[in-house]
Parts: sequence; C-alpha cells; structure tokens
Amino acid sequence: MSKSYRDGLPISPEKFVDQLMRLKRGSIGRREFLGLTGLGVATAVMARELGIMPTPAYAAENLGDRMSIATWPNYHDPATFESFKAETGVAVEVNVFGSNEEMLAKLQAGGSGWSLFVPTNYTISTYKKLDIIEALDMAKLGNFDGSQEDPRFTSEGTIDGTIYAVPKNWGTTGIAINTKKLTKPMTSWKEFWDTAMAEGDGRTMVHDYQLTTIGNALKYYGYSFNSLKQDELAKAEELLLKVKPHLFAVSSDYQPSMRAGDAWMTMCWTNDGAQLHRDIPEIAYVLGKEGGEIWTDFYAIPKDAPNKPAGYALLNYLMNPKVAVKEHLANGAPSIDARVNALLPKEVMDNPILYPAADLLKPLEFGAAATLTDPGRAELMARFKSA
Amino acid sequence: MRAFVVAVFAFLYLPIALVVLFSFNAGHHASEFTGFSTQWYGKALSNPFLVEALKNSLFIATTSALLAAVAGTAAALGLQRVGARTRAVFDGLLGAAIVVPGVVIGISTLVALVQLFGVVNPFLAELWPGDQPPRLALGYGSIIAAHGLFSMALVAMIVGTRLGSLDRNLVEASSDLYATPLTTFRSIVLPQIMPAVIAGFLLAFTFSFDDFIIAFFVAGAQTTLPIYVFASIRRGVTPEINAVATIVLVASVLLVVLAQWQLRRRKQ
Amino acid sequence: MSGAGHKPDPGNATGGQWPAGTEAAFSMRGTLLRKNLMTALLLAPATLWLVVFLVLPFVAIAIFSVGERAPEGGYQAAFTLAQYANLPARATAFWNTMVLAPVGAFACLLVAYPVAYYLALRAPERWRLILLALVVIPFWTSLLMRTYAWMYVLGGRGIPALLAYVGIEDVRLINTPGAVLLGIVYGYLPLMILPIYVSLERLDRRLLEASADLGATPLSTFLGVTLRLSLPGVMTGFSLVMILLLGEYLIPTLLGGGKVFFIGNALVDLFLQSRNWPFGSAIAITLVLVSVVVLIAANRISARLSGARRVDLI
Repeated sequence: MSKSYRDGLPISPEKFVDQLMRLKRGSIGRREFLGLTGLGVATAVMARELGIMPTPAYAAENLGDRMSIATWPNYHDPATFESFKAETGVAVEVNVFGSNEEMLAKLQAGGSGWSLFVPTNYTISTYKKLDIIEALDMAKLGNFDGSQEDPRFTSEGTIDGTIYAVPKNWGTTGIAINTKKLTKPMTSWKEFWDTAMAEGDGRTMVHDYQLTTIGNALKYYGYSFNSLKQDELAKAEELLLKVKPHLFAVSSDYQPSMRAGDAWMTMCWTNDGAQLHRDIPEIAYVLGKEGGEIWTDFYAIPKDAPNKPAGYALLNYLMNPKVAVKEHLANGAPSIDARVNALLPKEVMDNPILYPAADLLKPLEFGAAATLTDPGRAELMARFKSA
Repeated sequence: MRAFVVAVFAFLYLPIALVVLFSFNAGHHASEFTGFSTQWYGKALSNPFLVEALKNSLFIATTSALLAAVAGTAAALGLQRVGARTRAVFDGLLGAAIVVPGVVIGISTLVALVQLFGVVNPFLAELWPGDQPPRLALGYGSIIAAHGLFSMALVAMIVGTRLGSLDRNLVEASSDLYATPLTTFRSIVLPQIMPAVIAGFLLAFTFSFDDFIIAFFVAGAQTTLPIYVFASIRRGVTPEINAVATIVLVASVLLVVLAQWQLRRRKQ
Repeated sequence: MSGAGHKPDPGNATGGQWPAGTEAAFSMRGTLLRKNLMTALLLAPATLWLVVFLVLPFVAIAIFSVGERAPEGGYQAAFTLAQYANLPARATAFWNTMVLAPVGAFACLLVAYPVAYYLALRAPERWRLILLALVVIPFWTSLLMRTYAWMYVLGGRGIPALLAYVGIEDVRLINTPGAVLLGIVYGYLPLMILPIYVSLERLDRRLLEASADLGATPLSTFLGVTLRLSLPGVMTGFSLVMILLLGEYLIPTLLGGGKVFFIGNALVDLFLQSRNWPFGSAIAITLVLVSVVVLIAANRISARLSGARRVDLI
C-alpha cells in the first residue's frame, strides 16, 4: 500500500523532506526551524499543495473522515496530523492522557472511541491479557521495518511471537529545573524531593501517574523503582505525604506551568525536557543518579476501535521515516528506528538530553508490568492525591 | 453599595471578556495575545470534531429537555390525582434526583448500564435472526437519559408548585359548565402552567448544554461540547474553543433579546 | 422558588384533587377506572425514568460497594464491608469538602446579598431587568471556559506577571485553596443572587417605611425586617450552592491543580485512575448520605430561622 499511495502523490515524501532540509540549511535559523511554528508553516504550505490533488490509493480504501488517537501531552507535531488529513481526508482528534492507568480505565469501561493509542512498554502484556488490543496486521504496516529497530527497546511489543504494538520512541524520566530560580545543582532524586520541601516550596510538580511518582519516591531511599514490597512502599508514602503540602501541582502536563514560570521544577520526560530546554534555555533536564525510569512508548490499536482502517493508515504514516523525523524534531524524544536516526541532524543526535551519558543510563529501570495492576500502588497514589 | 455592585459585575464579566478577547487572537494559544484575527472562527467551524461536539450538545440538550418537560409536566399533573402516600414516595424520589451530586449520577449510571449491557447484549445476539444483532452501548441515549433525570425532576417540581397555586375556582367553574376534562385542561390549566413548563424546559436545556461531569462518564465514544472543551484544556486550548464559546454566547443573548422584543410587541 | 408555605398545599390528600365536583356527580365505575388509568399514564414515564436511571443505578453501586476490586481493576463480586472500613483513607478529601463547601457557600452569600439587595430595592426600575439579565448571561458561557479564563488570570502570565511588573516578584495564586474558593464564588454567584433577589423583591416595602416611621435605625430595620424576611431566599441559595459543592469536581481540578482535593475528585480518581470501583461506590453512597443529611439540616435550620416557614430547595 505504501508504494502505491506514494505514486499517487504530486510530490514524494522524500522530496518533501529534502525541501524541509533545504529550508533548514537556508535562511531560516535553527531555533525557529526546530520550533513548532517553523515546521508548522512549512508543512501547512505543503499540505495545501498536497490537498489540491486527490490521492487515489487512499481514496480506494474506506478510511472514513475522522478518527481519534489517545496519546500523551505535547507528544506530536500538530502539522503531522494536518498533512495526514491532507493526504487521506481523515481528520485526527488528539486525546491527551497523563498516565497509563487512565488509558487502561477508559479502555476497560469500553467505548473509548480511539482507533490508535500510545501505551508504554510495561502495559502491553496486561492489555493483551485483558484482550483489549489487536494483534497487528503487519501487511497493513508496510512502512514498519523491525530489522531497523533497536531491540533493546522493542521486545515488549511482541508477545509469543505476535506483534501487538510497534515502538514510537524511547526516553527517560528525569527532572526539569529552572536554573534561574533554583540555582543549586540538581543531580539526584534525593535532592529533588529535598528541594521540593525547601527552595522549591510551592513550585514543584510531580506526575499524576503512580509509576513515576511512587517510583522516584522509592529512589529517595535507594529502593527499586518498581518495588511492590509493603515496607518500601510505606516509606515512599511517608515521603510523598510529607512533600504533598509543598507541591505546586500533581499533573502530568507540566509544560504550561513551567513555561509560565508558575512551576520551577518538575518530574519530566525526555521529550518535554528537550522541548522546554529548546525554547527556554535556562530550563535544564537532568537524570537522578540513583536511577529511575527508562521507557519505550508504543503504538497499539484497541480491539473495539471504531475506525481500524484509519488507525492502521495513520500508524503506517507515522512509521514512514520521513514523517517520523519531523515528529522527532518537534517532540524531542529519541528515535528507535535506524532509518530515522540517519535523517536526524547531528546536533539532535548529540543532544545529551536525548542521549544521556552511559553511566547515567545504567541504573535506569524499565517499568514492570505488575506495577500497573498492583492494588497497593494504585491505592497509595490515590491516598497521596487526596491527602 | 453601587460601587460594590459594579465591582461584582466586573468580576462576573472579566473571564467572559477574556474568553471573547482570545477568540480574536492571531496566535496559536488562548493564553498569549499576539494580534487581532478572525481566523479561529473559520477554523472552529471547519473542525469536524468541534462542530460534531456542538451539534451533539444541541441535540442532546434539546431532546433531554423536551422529554423532561413532557414527562415532568405529566408527573406533576398525575401527582395531583394520587393519595398522600404515593405522593410522598414520588416527592422523595424526585427530590433525590435533584439532590444526588452529578458525579454520583454519572458514575452510578455508568456502573449500572455497563452491567445491564453485559447481560442484555449476549441475549440480543442469541435472539437476533440476522447476522448483525444490535448492541446496546453508551452514547446519545445514555446522556439524554441521565441528563433528563435531573431535568424531569426539576420540571415536575416547578410545574407542581405552579399547579399548587392554580386558581381552582376556574377549574371548578369550567367543569360546572360541563366542559370535558380535556377541554378544561386545554383551556384553563395548560395556559396557566405553560410559563412554568417553559421555564423548566429552559433550565433543563441550560443544564444539559453545560453539564460536564455526568456526560463525562456516560458518553461512551460520543463527545459533547463540555467534554471537548475539557479535553482541549488538557491538550492546550487553541482560540477555536474561544470562538465557539463566543458564538454560543452571542446566539443565546440574541435569542433572549428577540424573545423579549416579541413579547413586548405582542403586549402592545 | 421559595416560600411555598404561603400557598395551599397540593399534597393535601383531600384538597388536591380536581375537578372535585365531577367525581361526586359521576361516581360511576367506568369513570373511576378511566381516571385511574389516566393517572397511571401520566405517572408512567416519570416512574420508568426514576426506576431505571435513579433507583437501579443506586442499587448497582450499593451492590458494588460491598464487592472487591478485581485483580486488574474494576469490580469483582464479594460480600465485604472492607470498602466502608477504608473510608478514613479519604478523610482529608471529606474534610476539605465539608469545610470548603460551607465556607464557599457563605463567601458566595456575602458577595451575592448586596447585589441582590441593590437589584431588588435600590436599582432604578428601567435598569432592573437589564441588570437581572446580566446576572443570568454568564450561564450561557460554558463554566469550563470561564474557569479556564481564571486559570489564565491567576496563572503566571496573569496577575503575577502584572505584580512582577510593579516589582512584586514570585507571587503564586493558582493551585491554592484561595484560587479554588474564588472559582467557587465565581461559578455559583448567580445561583445565589437569584433566590435572594426573588425573596427581597416580594418584600412589602410598606414594612420598611413602617419600621422607619416607628423610629428604627436603618441598621435595625435591615436586621429586623429586610434580612429576616429574605431568609427563605438566603437559605434556598445557600443550600442549593452547598449541595452542588458537595459533589464539585471541575473547579478543584482546574484551579486546585490536583492538590486541593474534594470528595468528588477522590471519587473520579477511583474510577479513572486506580480503577477501584467498589471503593468508589462506597464513597459515592457515603457522599449521597452526607448530602441528604446536610439538606435536612439546612431545612431544619431555615425552618427555625424563618419562624416555622417551610423552604423548598428549588
């Protein structure tokens, strides 16, 4: 399918990106280009051009005219969906969630309405067990090339030899800090929690997400990020309850507050850290030296997806390296696809926010499946929030 | 005192002014004004999700308010004809429908319907002669019903109060003159309770149109305007939302002015 | 809306049936039967609605509340009171609600009363209708949008930025109990103004003149006559706002940043994050019971305050 739709385009995706790259080498400055607006304008122009001609390959398949995707805050280039719409006629509604639990709850209740969603590595086995995600029909995903993916990040998408999810990008969970407001160097989770109760009083945010908030509180004591042990969780709860009155907010969408200057420090994912640092250089992104989370986000299709053809079409579109490279430039997360990495500018590949030093990466842990469903962690998080 | 009242009105209208102002923002966000533009009105009206959410909200609010007005008025009339005990039971239930917090209505309706569908759907599949048996699911029906519950109780109470103060002499006079009960109802009772029915309908419509929390739970895959706005707040509001809010505001103010004008003209 | 005590009570079994004359005249069986059938038909839709969407859901969560959380979240059948025993784990959320709801309603009242007073007794006649419309119009802009506007005003780019401009740095307003309180007063102000306005507007002005003629000071006239006679409206507004606040979810979510948690937030959290349906059901049942108790208490108090006058909530 991928081949035939490309034939129908007035301009090939390859040429499209070449043009973008030329734009970049030309008069437009780096910051502007990387910024959403630069990309947005460029793609908007392209999209309009593409929209003039119908695309027979897509038109042949009945994709409908709309679909919904469930994803994370600030995780896509809005221009991607614009150009997808220009090519296929399918408008994409983006629903944003702050935790895997929230996505799971919505899928469990039924009728989520999503045709594509973005679960994290450790949740996929549970979705499979509950029988709420599709075994992917790889014939519809011609743009995906498993041999180009770094296996360190991809294994959890495949269960018993069947592919249920394909990787989007990987990343880490660290600390974003406004170094103008908080001048003490930050290197560890211990310092994060201590600062939250001192200089960062009333200005610190933690995720509305049990895995990272509890996990990084466990790190304060040097316990495993994934611990389910009662005594260790009790210690983490004690710390969280102590910190709670000093927090600015419990929310997984911290970019607006960090940008507005309401929050000075937050638990943060790689992609948000890269975006914040790109636009506001005084906001730094650091990893806790005790460890913490390393993750891969995947794309998966719910069993009850109302528009599976469009879900597959969008997924295949996103798997196109030329599209993916723009996504990565906009959202700032490190790619898993060697074809994408080959297209990314050197300064992106050298960015220490995306690719931290090996000794910082070493202690990081992938989330464990059991944490998603463990009633103890769920109730601990709920108690912390309602305290 | 007048200064205080002016201050309170300023307080009431400051956020509304901001909502309207940002609908004319040239920039991408509803939080930084970068220049004047009307582009977001066009964008809002060509955004299929936003338009669908608006249409859904209008449809749901109209239907649930209409059903509620009919059922609520019927109930208020029926309650005039029953004994004190039956009446007390109904009053209790209607009161409960009003008092139970929306969040509880939303959650309990979700829980009950999910269980109910779990029982009914396999049954339907078994009995259905064709290949594609109908499947009950959350959607328009569940939102309309859940909104209508509150609205119906509201209408029943408002109309009930009105019936209580109805001029009974007229009713008696009418039946003394051998008018059929239907005629009496049409020519005496209905005109007197109509203002209450209309007030109930309007309140019900407003409630349903603005409700977030009940719809949030029972909407299934459907979107209403408040649900769409809530989702937008999470993904970052663009002035599209402001544009739609402004359109709704202007439309409702126009409707009221028009209604007032009509009323005055009729009086003259 | 209030002060229904003045009117003949339609619930009175004897006086409530009309047309009373007809019944005596045609006491034939058929007529009676038809009358009963008519009554049943009139009540059928409401009964169906109440049973399917009020009683049934309530029974469902009552059953769920004695169940257990399934291993992956959700509900699993059981019979245990463990969920109710766990209620103290949400004590803070209950406490926040039980404090901020009355405080919020009271703050609302303090702002609303002078406005209602001005509208009913002081405003020039030709302005009254326009001002009244101005009280209602905010209802037609989504509460979500208006609260979002407050997020902007209280957030770093709003008032704090203005304050920084005049040299007051690092003021934080959003995500505080104060911000939530402001949101509450803002959101429910019209609901408070209207019933008070109605009761003040009905006030017999000759009473005020009489009071003044008898040598009462303006203050004692206000306390002894105006305030006293407007109490039914005050209590209607107060209980209305209070009841709505007990189940509040949006305002603490948007202006409290997930930090100021109401019981409504704890409830939603249990269904949308930790997926503990049984515990959520137990909290929902408790919340309903609390609401009923609060309402009954409010009615009792208002009855005492306004001299045995019954006050309808709506």
